[in-house]
Amino acid sequence: MKIGITRFPGTNCDYDVEKMVQHFSHTPVWLWHQDKFDIQSVDAVIIPGGFSYGDYLRCGALASRSPVMSSVREFAEKGKPVLGICNGFQILCESGLLPGALTRNEGLKFIDDWSSLEVDNPNSFFGSRLQKGQTLNLPIAHGEGRYWIPAEGLKKLHDHQQIWLKYKKNPNGSMNDIAGVMNEKKNVVGLMPHPERALALWMGGQDGMEFL
Amino acid sequence: MKTEKTLSPELQKKCQRYRISSSEYHKISDLLGHEPQGIEWALFSALWSEHCSYKSSKIHLRKFAYKNLSVLESEGENAGVVDLGFGEKIAFKMESHNHPSFIEPFQGAATGVGGILRDIFTMGARPIALADYLCFGDIEAPRMKSLVQGVVSGISSYGNCVGVPTVTGQTVFHSSYNNNILVNAMAVGLITEDMKMARSKASGVGNWVVYVGARTGKDGVHGASMASESFDSNNEAKKPNVQIGDPFFEKLLIESCLEILDQDLVVAMQDMGAAGLTSSSFEMASKGQVGITLHLDQVPMRDSTMTPEEILLSESQERMLLICKPENFDKIQKVFAKWDLEAQKVGEVKSERTVDIFWKNEKLVSIDPDLLVENAPRYDREFQKWNSPNKTNLKASTLSDLSKNHPLDFITKAPQSMNFCSREWIYKQYDQRVGARTCKDAKSSVAFLQLPSNRGLSITLGCRPSVMRMDAFIGGQDSVFFPALQMAVKGAQAVAVTDCLNFGNPEKINIMSEFVASVEGIAEAAKAIDAPVISGNVSFYNETQNQNITSTPATGVVGLRKDLENIPADQFTTQGQVVYWLRAPWVIGLHSELLTENKQMNIEAKPHFEGRLDSEVVAAWIRDLSLFVNENDIAVSKVVGDGGLFESLRRMSLGDFGFHGHQKFFETVNFEKIYSETFYEVILAVDISKQFDFQKSIEEFCQRHQSQVYEIGWAQEGKFEIPGLMEVKTEELIERHQKGWGVL
Repeated sequence: MKIGITRFPGTNCDYDVEKMVQHFSHTPVWLWHQDKFDIQSVDAVIIPGGFSYGDYLRCGALASRSPVMSSVREFAEKGKPVLGICNGFQILCESGLLPGALTRNEGLKFIDDWSSLEVDNPNSFFGSRLQKGQTLNLPIAHGEGRYWIPAEGLKKLHDHQQIWLKYKKNPNGSMNDIAGVMNEKKNVVGLMPHPERALALWMGGQDGMEFL
Repeated sequence: MKTEKTLSPELQKKCQRYRISSSEYHKISDLLGHEPQGIEWALFSALWSEHCSYKSSKIHLRKFAYKNLSVLESEGENAGVVDLGFGEKIAFKMESHNHPSFIEPFQGAATGVGGILRDIFTMGARPIALADYLCFGDIEAPRMKSLVQGVVSGISSYGNCVGVPTVTGQTVFHSSYNNNILVNAMAVGLITEDMKMARSKASGVGNWVVYVGARTGKDGVHGASMASESFDSNNEAKKPNVQIGDPFFEKLLIESCLEILDQDLVVAMQDMGAAGLTSSSFEMASKGQVGITLHLDQVPMRDSTMTPEEILLSESQERMLLICKPENFDKIQKVFAKWDLEAQKVGEVKSERTVDIFWKNEKLVSIDPDLLVENAPRYDREFQKWNSPNKTNLKASTLSDLSKNHPLDFITKAPQSMNFCSREWIYKQYDQRVGARTCKDAKSSVAFLQLPSNRGLSITLGCRPSVMRMDAFIGGQDSVFFPALQMAVKGAQAVAVTDCLNFGNPEKINIMSEFVASVEGIAEAAKAIDAPVISGNVSFYNETQNQNITSTPATGVVGLRKDLENIPADQFTTQGQVVYWLRAPWVIGLHSELLTENKQMNIEAKPHFEGRLDSEVVAAWIRDLSLFVNENDIAVSKVVGDGGLFESLRRMSLGDFGFHGHQKFFETVNFEKIYSETFYEVILAVDISKQFDFQKSIEEFCQRHQSQVYEIGWAQEGKFEIPGLMEVKTEELIERHQKGWGVL
């Protein structure tokens, strides 16, 4: 499978995601922020974490308006799988491909830690082997990971089973302990934790192996 | 020595402004053949500053001469480089940013991180890890809480954004840093077989001098000379000397610089650090034994009103100077444009050995770079031969005082001291895993990263100011041995060392004596353990209103482990693990901050310290211990440090399992042994099934190395207990351990 990996100025988990893709014997394809791409050329897209455009303006705001994201939008509209990790999740929310917004952590500090998560709805391309209710341990590292959505949006998330992952112990004040969500069609998913940092026992855990 | 004319009041004032002494003024006039004019003042001020020239330390830094075959680069380059075999090389260095961080903690600490990262990728290495050595004053001292918060968030904001994990660190609190905190940052970079190492030596007549990165602004002008003098009460006025960093720019600079190196477009590369364009251009020319022309009006500027002097001395961040062949310039520009950065030709390499600086076609100066670099003054400042003061040091008044304190009190009250509570408040703000190489993070006593060859790269910082206050020579040795021992008990071997020597005013004989003694201590230990000092930095004038900091020669030690499997844990992990105490009592010390400074403990014991470390003997012990750990399936290990045995057992009980002590042992043991610290002692624990084999081999080890071993207890779930003496739940220990930061 060919997996496109977006690169924005300030993306810093690009090589980590590349390693993860190679780990599963898929072929990574770099997608540069200033270029649109042929949506037939890749089978899935991952938007890695980092500080795209230095987090200037708002996390993910500038990246969401970049040429590469217009192709990602087209790609997603065809029902093809897109995964956003950390800043990638922020970019997907900013570009409207995922509902809600990610705001400054409660406590206003960056948090690096391991978090325990519960799978709410496993029905997505990424992480299809997960079971509902399954517990996962993944690292988090973010300053703006507090998920927020208006009341009617939250109701819609519940109605359409769009909540992907929940924190078992809320680290950042996220609404309803939400750590990851998906769109209505379930082909676009985003999460704040980093599966690519949990692929082996020496890393402290290997639950990230479930995501590809 | 010829008598020097006294300078006119006007000249004296000028010398003062440029921080040039009168003897230096005369030396400059002699070298130039005329009195310094115009821009020459600024050039000499910057390059002859302590910060750039190492004029007070250079003759002693030669004591770090010991190198081995693995050292590829050392002093003289931006960072040292060691070859680890398997096509893997590591570049690393540590640097101080003390003065700026005290004036403006957030930007000071952030740009400290930025600066040290540039030293690493200038060598062609991809930065893979950061570590910070921080010394703060008494937490209740004026401004201290905001300094702590500012420094930590500065490091966090820069390191996280630039995408380099902060994997370890050390934080010390002591009143001697009340008016002069220490912020030392270390960066480690990886050069794999497919990458190209870069150097900073300019060469090739006709080659172009190219400026890349952020534009030049007025920030940080005169920063280097500021860092080379003591603080006074007017620090606020120095704020404009502090640089402002942008980690996003730095990230772009890392990617673009590694890309042009990858495409082989660069002859030489140098970052613009202290004294900015001046030091980078003169040093590149001097190292390459060539001359260069420099057109200041071509330098990309943020502010068009800048004067030539300001451009030369600006310490704006995220800038580099390159030398390239003219035909490669377009390709370089293209790479930088891709990353939204500027690349601008500002000069050329020429054969005549002068640096010619132009401003709008007017030649401002033409000067031999060696006058500024090679001919910088070298001072042999007065010092006394080190005479271990620990012999004359105060004897412990009443060690019996100690036994008045119940061990339970000790264990529960220890974390009330800032020096003994958890560091989680700090490291949770740092991204410790970006890069997906982190095996053991900042929570661990030793950080481990995965190398491409699957071996473990270990990183730990050294220097215990509490030991330095007792004896500067032993303190220097300990700055290498202690971290090396920490690695050894995890089955790793120290490979090389960097240092960041933070001292007070070198013009004071006692400070200079401590400096020389600790340099000699570090050098001796590094040689004995075969981990050469490959890079470093000296920060003098850490004094405010005549008060010097504790002399603090911080070190960063990098080591290797054969793999990442079964690294011994820091905390007990299984019921019944058998706990052993291994001692090699070369030096007995009661220097613990915990005992002497913790007001809760009500102890009046005086610091007490005796003995010496024979570097060869200690090094052999440490090396052998590392092999022993790998051969004997050690499950848990810890080096006993400040606070002694009890403090270490407390720390090992901060998980699911606590320590259960043998009643008989603790009934008969002398409490001095428990609360004081010997150099060196370690705690090892093995799973019960391994006990028999372990005992056999540890006894052999002890015979080889004049050490003693005691079986002192086992690991038990949920509590720390010594029957008949004390009992406390591990939950409570964990809770108390986290509380210290409540003061912020």
